[in-house]
Amino acid sequence: MARDLAPDVERLLQFRDPNIRKKAALCSIRIVKKVPDLAENFINPAASLLKEKHHGVLLTGIQLCTDLCRVSAEALEYFRKKCTEGLVKVLKDVVNSPYAPEYDISGIADPFLHIRLLRLLRVLGQGDADASDCMNDILAQVATKTESNKNAGNAILYECVETIMSIEDNSGLRVLAINILGRFLSNRDNNIRYVALNMLMKAITVDTQAVQRHRPTILERVKDSDASIRKRALELVYLLVNESNVKPLTKELIEYLEAGNYVKDEVWHALIVVITNASNLHGYTVRSLYRAVQTSGEQVTESDAVDVIEVAIKHHTTDLTTRAMRIKDIIVQDKGNLVLELQQRSIEFNSVIEKHQNIRSALVERMPVLDEATYSGRRAGSLSAAVSTSQGAALNLSNGVAKAAAPPLVDLLDLSSDDTPAPSSSGNDFLQDLLGVDLSPASSQAGQAQKSGTDVLLDLLSIGSPSAQDSSFTPNALSKSSQDDKTSMGALERLSSPSASSIQASSPAGGSPMMDLLDGFASSPPLPEANGLAYPSVVAFESNSLRVMFNFSKQPGNPRTTLIEATFMNKSSVVYTDFIFQAAVPKFLQLHLDPASSNSLPESGNGSITQKLRLTNSQHGKKALVMRIRINYKVNSKDTLEEGQISNFPRDL
Amino acid sequence: MPEHSTQAKCLLAQHNSAQQNASWPNTILPQQNRALFKDRIMRHGRRSSPSSFPTNNGTRQLSMIHFVLLISRQGKVRLTKWYSPYSQKERTKVLRELSGLILTRGPKLCNFVEWRGFKVVYKRYASLYFCMCVNQDDNELEILEVIHLFVEILDRYFGSVCELDLIFNFHKAYYILDEILIAGELQESSKKTVARLVAAQDSLVEAAKEEASSLSNIIAQAT
Repeated sequence: MARDLAPDVERLLQFRDPNIRKKAALCSIRIVKKVPDLAENFINPAASLLKEKHHGVLLTGIQLCTDLCRVSAEALEYFRKKCTEGLVKVLKDVVNSPYAPEYDISGIADPFLHIRLLRLLRVLGQGDADASDCMNDILAQVATKTESNKNAGNAILYECVETIMSIEDNSGLRVLAINILGRFLSNRDNNIRYVALNMLMKAITVDTQAVQRHRPTILERVKDSDASIRKRALELVYLLVNESNVKPLTKELIEYLEAGNYVKDEVWHALIVVITNASNLHGYTVRSLYRAVQTSGEQVTESDAVDVIEVAIKHHTTDLTTRAMRIKDIIVQDKGNLVLELQQRSIEFNSVIEKHQNIRSALVERMPVLDEATYSGRRAGSLSAAVSTSQGAALNLSNGVAKAAAPPLVDLLDLSSDDTPAPSSSGNDFLQDLLGVDLSPASSQAGQAQKSGTDVLLDLLSIGSPSAQDSSFTPNALSKSSQDDKTSMGALERLSSPSASSIQASSPAGGSPMMDLLDGFASSPPLPEANGLAYPSVVAFESNSLRVMFNFSKQPGNPRTTLIEATFMNKSSVVYTDFIFQAAVPKFLQLHLDPASSNSLPESGNGSITQKLRLTNSQHGKKALVMRIRINYKVNSKDTLEEGQISNFPRDL
Repeated sequence: MPEHSTQAKCLLAQHNSAQQNASWPNTILPQQNRALFKDRIMRHGRRSSPSSFPTNNGTRQLSMIHFVLLISRQGKVRLTKWYSPYSQKERTKVLRELSGLILTRGPKLCNFVEWRGFKVVYKRYASLYFCMCVNQDDNELEILEVIHLFVEILDRYFGSVCELDLIFNFHKAYYILDEILIAGELQESSKKTVARLVAAQDSLVEAAKEEASSLSNIIAQAT
């Protein structure tokens, strides 16, 4: 039918009665939408409509041209070439026209016409520098002259801003546009704020800097009473986060998060998306989340929080923290045993462990988190349930930790916690522990999977380049840390301070950073060896290519702490580079590693690397020291790994 | 106790390794994620409505008003005008959903509601809610003006229009709407012109009535 009527409608576009013409124009729009092929026929008549005087016909003519341009590239070209200047002139006339009572709306003559013209100019100017140049002046005029105390004026300004943002780059206009948006943001009218936030989101892709300037206003909007505004503001804040402003933004967001238990779900979800995408927030977020959950104390709120965490998890299933959060999940749900999800979760977990043997290697990648969690689970020291099944192991974790009254993750992050889990070195074993499988000997390191696991662990732990050793991870702030937001923010800030090559992920290069990590961030000066070697030194570890010797000493008045000086000697005839030493201890021990003297070990014993360790035994006298070590180094640029367990510590250390 | 930072650094490194050697400044908000997110926002306007509504319909994508609803405070529907194809079942569904959505909104909230990938702009005048549904990327403030234009013309025509006027003269309300919007597009921005046109229509109606009655008189007299 459209095709049949098209010629008639075309003819009517030139009818004498303006009313007929305008209706014909709108009819043509419909036809063109239905049958885009017919667009060519309408190009010429539409162009002639643009010269109309009658506002109604002009309005519809402009609309027709806009839609023609959107539907047909040929039309776009035609209008761009022929009509841009004419349109600019029409807009100029309208803007400068005197008071016309017929078309006047709140003091502006025919705002609809303004808006349509701006829209058409936008379509014409998009992607075309010449056309954009033509319209610069008039856009500037509209942007500056239009009054914005009434909705009509604001509508025009909004359209103007949209147009400025879409056409080719003109920084002056852009600044103008962003300023208008900033003004909108502070407007008392909710609608205007909403519109502004919407627009700013689109503007970010174009000019981030300018939008950053309005950050404080946007942050205020996050606390608005209107849910849709809040949601928009949150999305915008998410887009605004970058490395320089993450700290204050995060603070705001976290505050918001803690107040957010009473906010609707959609806002929650938006916020969680925001947070999960800024991984450095994770630690802090989880902690405060848990605190919020703890303080609320109700089952309902817990499951709400858990639901939210589930959402987060679904977004980033391979993300380290969410893995940890997942485990936290288990714990939280363990408390709320009656919740159906617990059963589902544990069954899920169970099936993952039992059935998915073939993806074990993928699971291996999850090791780091599980290690920590298992580790601290053990550390909690009150595993009541027997480690019978794998599921049992999982719940063990939760039981044990629940009894410790703090989830392992929180402990890991908790600044006030006394026990400090050292990162594990033989990750694979821990995973298998968790899975209830027999421990493979610590030293056997066959297979690609393990290698990948260790690489992941290394990646995990290797942060910072050798040169950044001293800069980013200055320990002072952290060693004096208390359970204090500020400090954790300080910590995060430190972490986020961009040192040039600070995080080289997958390369296991950089032995010293490894030390930093394992170092308890104690920038303590070299420990006084006042005591001398009161204890015999032992050969902690020896293999065909390496020997590790430990020299012990104790500080006077502090029998629980042992100072160990580890000496590494190269027994082969090839020099070792990128030498990294890692150690893991059981939970009743506390380990601090100082940086190594170097990370290159000359061959055949021509030199050695020394490294100081500090072990604090909370079960001094009851349990002996034991340690698992892992050593990584490169031989002729080939990675080598050695692992071992040291059990031959002198008995009375 | 520094362990938290250890953990945090582990997180960072893990995240980083997932980013394949990206250096630190880039990983706080990885560009690819941000791009994806932006993409989602950009595509928001084009997001197809759920399966019950026709999705790939060309008429849904260019800027237009999809439908106009007038709903009373009690949820009664006074006027509906559909500019996009909606089946009868879909229409009732839309009405039900939007009534629920809009009538429950507080007075201080903004006049825009996001619904199924579209935006519904509504304004409350006395006991009636005027709702218009547009695409995501349309100018909402302009639609508010269109609604206001409609209301002002109604007011001018009926003289201080109230809901009763619309109930008893709904056909006239439809005529007026048809003079303002065709196919979801604004056709006339001048109140005077519209008023003149509707008045012309009315006089035509009057004339026709008169003619009809006079004819019937004649016939009645003839028989």
